[in-house]
Amino acid sequence: MTPALKVEGVRAKLGDLEILKGVDLEVPFGEIHALMGPNGSGKSTLCHVLMGKDEYAAEGSAAVGGREVMGLDVDERARAGLFEAFQYPVEIPGVSLDELLAEMGEAAGRDPHEFGDRVERAATRLGMAPFRDRAINSGLSGGEKKRSEMFQLAVARPKAAVLDEVDSGLDIDAVREIAGLVEALRSEELGVLIITHYSRILRYMAPDRVHVMIDGRIVRSGGPEVAEELEAKGYEELRAELGLGPNDDGADPYADLP
Amino acid sequence: MPSEAEEIWRYVELDLDLADFSLPERNGTPPPELSRLAAALPEVSGKATVSDGAVVAAEGGDVAVRPLLEAVGEAPERVEAVYGSAIPVEHDIFTAAHHAFASDAVVVTVPRGAAVPAPVHVTIAAVADGGISFPHLLVDVEDGAEASVVVEYVSQGDVRALVVPHIEVVSGADANLSLTVVQNWGYATTALAQARVAVGRDSAVRIAEAGLGGSLSRLHLTVDLLGRGSSAEVLGAYFGEEDQTLDYRYFMHHVGLNTHSDMFLKGAVEDEALSVFTGLIRIEESAQRTDAFQTNRNLILSEGAAAQSVPNLEILANDVRCGHGSTVGPLDAEQHYYLMSRGLDGARADRLQVRGFFEEVLARFPVGGVAVPVRGWINDKYVRAQAAGRV
Ligand SMILES: Nc1ncnc2c1ncn2[C@@H]1O[C@H](COP(=O)(O)OP(=O)(O)O)[C@@H](O)[C@H]1O
Ligand SMILES: [Mg+2]
Repeated sequence: MTPALKVEGVRAKLGDLEILKGVDLEVPFGEIHALMGPNGSGKSTLCHVLMGKDEYAAEGSAAVGGREVMGLDVDERARAGLFEAFQYPVEIPGVSLDELLAEMGEAAGRDPHEFGDRVERAATRLGMAPFRDRAINSGLSGGEKKRSEMFQLAVARPKAAVLDEVDSGLDIDAVREIAGLVEALRSEELGVLIITHYSRILRYMAPDRVHVMIDGRIVRSGGPEVAEELEAKGYEELRAELGLGPNDDGADPYADLP
Repeated sequence: MPSEAEEIWRYVELDLDLADFSLPERNGTPPPELSRLAAALPEVSGKATVSDGAVVAAEGGDVAVRPLLEAVGEAPERVEAVYGSAIPVEHDIFTAAHHAFASDAVVVTVPRGAAVPAPVHVTIAAVADGGISFPHLLVDVEDGAEASVVVEYVSQGDVRALVVPHIEVVSGADANLSLTVVQNWGYATTALAQARVAVGRDSAVRIAEAGLGGSLSRLHLTVDLLGRGSSAEVLGAYFGEEDQTLDYRYFMHHVGLNTHSDMFLKGAVEDEALSVFTGLIRIEESAQRTDAFQTNRNLILSEGAAAQSVPNLEILANDVRCGHGSTVGPLDAEQHYYLMSRGLDGARADRLQVRGFFEEVLARFPVGGVAVPVRGWINDKYVRAQAAGRV
């Protein structure tokens, strides 16, 4: 079976800073995988490199539903079936969410009626109706932004989705809600990689596999028990066990903050 | 000819030879139907057309809309008191020429207490090739009156004209006025416009300008917040393409106690276009308890394009709140990435970003009907630049 997402030997640099040092990962259709790791380990970089953000110098292979996407433009990757839900979705004043959705439908060459129905249904299900006329992410709370990302994901119907910390900064009820939304998306047409710093969200969903990234490498992969192990030990102990030494590579844990 | 060495002309090189222009012999020839806004303003409470400086049509209702002579006949003292009083003769040679040669005007009078919902539409056209003209509009808003005026500047693309329009607005007390200017000059027209707005006690004015056409189009706007509690909102959206120059010199002058002003202008330039915004907020000692803000944001869409943005404050009172912000830069890269990640190709994402950039100000335009075509024209300009590979 062709997996939804297959990542092989992905490396990425930002200037001289080597961030991803060879990442391999496979998410089959119908599955939800979690990618965990401390701040600064390269999780967001992996998302951006898969999506094709041009500030990184990247190499390796990434296939979405069997189609190689490395080397494609960002929009071509989206149209190939890849979706990135952002850790920090950018505000776009003056452009309403509805305008964006209409452009997404056109860009994807969807039938406007069918696409419109899909938007309506997803908006109702996710309680997004009041946000459709508002500017994209502008003035939205953290939770609302994440919900808007999930809404766009539901409308886009990708083959592979990478969800970057859709749980961070949320209170426990919102985390549970997002977990429910991710589980509701589970289908044979989609593979999900959900990225999280904390194992908290994994209590409300059932990931098929859990991967741990440290210093730009996947250092552990296994069943849900990996998350439990991590919760018990913490990243530092795992680091020590793996002989990686303390996190002293000068990574700024806040570099990622907007 | 004014030179760039003078602060008020800085950044703009005036490449004009007055000998190339002459007063049109047949001024007053009704222009061909040039208005591009008529469809957007299905309901008006008055309209007027000015051709090469002469009023060729004027029609009012609850609001009086008259040519100068007729207005003088109706209210000689009032017209004499205000006509030509706002913009000083000695400001520069163009204002001096205006005072010397302007022979007609549209006089809009909103009588005391009148509330006129539909706008008055004034079309100011330049028709004669090689002509110089001095259109004049006087808007007199009496106490307690409410009205809106839309001024549309037009000329055909190949008409090489020099136009020196003056707009004077006087508001009484408790009045409410909006003035929207849609500058749609043809690309061979040079316009050096002056506008001055005097705001009376507890009155509010909203002024919006869309800068689209002209080879060089300049607007020197002065708002005098004279009355206690008076306020002004000043909006602008401009888009310079090819080698256009769009030049704004805005002065917000707080005189009365407890006055408020907010300037918000957004512009874009592509190819080799130049835009200039110099904004000065001056708060007199008498204008305590005042707030004044100005924001000017500019998009540079091509390497050869430039935007000058110079906000200034002169504050003589101490109990005031002031702020200013100014930015000049390209389209936001994070927004671009986000939109492309949703499947939009680069050109589509750019268009949406440009639209969003202007929407922030167009959404605040006082006459919603005007914002609709302006939105379209700005988009057309950007699409042309995309098609030509300049952005
Ligand atoms: N745009 C950037 N500018 C500077 N450093 C960056 C940038 N993106 C990532 N980094 C660095 O790369 C490393 C990995 O960052 P990131 O992928 O955001 O980690 P995570 O998402 O796991 O917290 C960090 O050391 C971070 O500081
Ligand atoms: Mg991150």
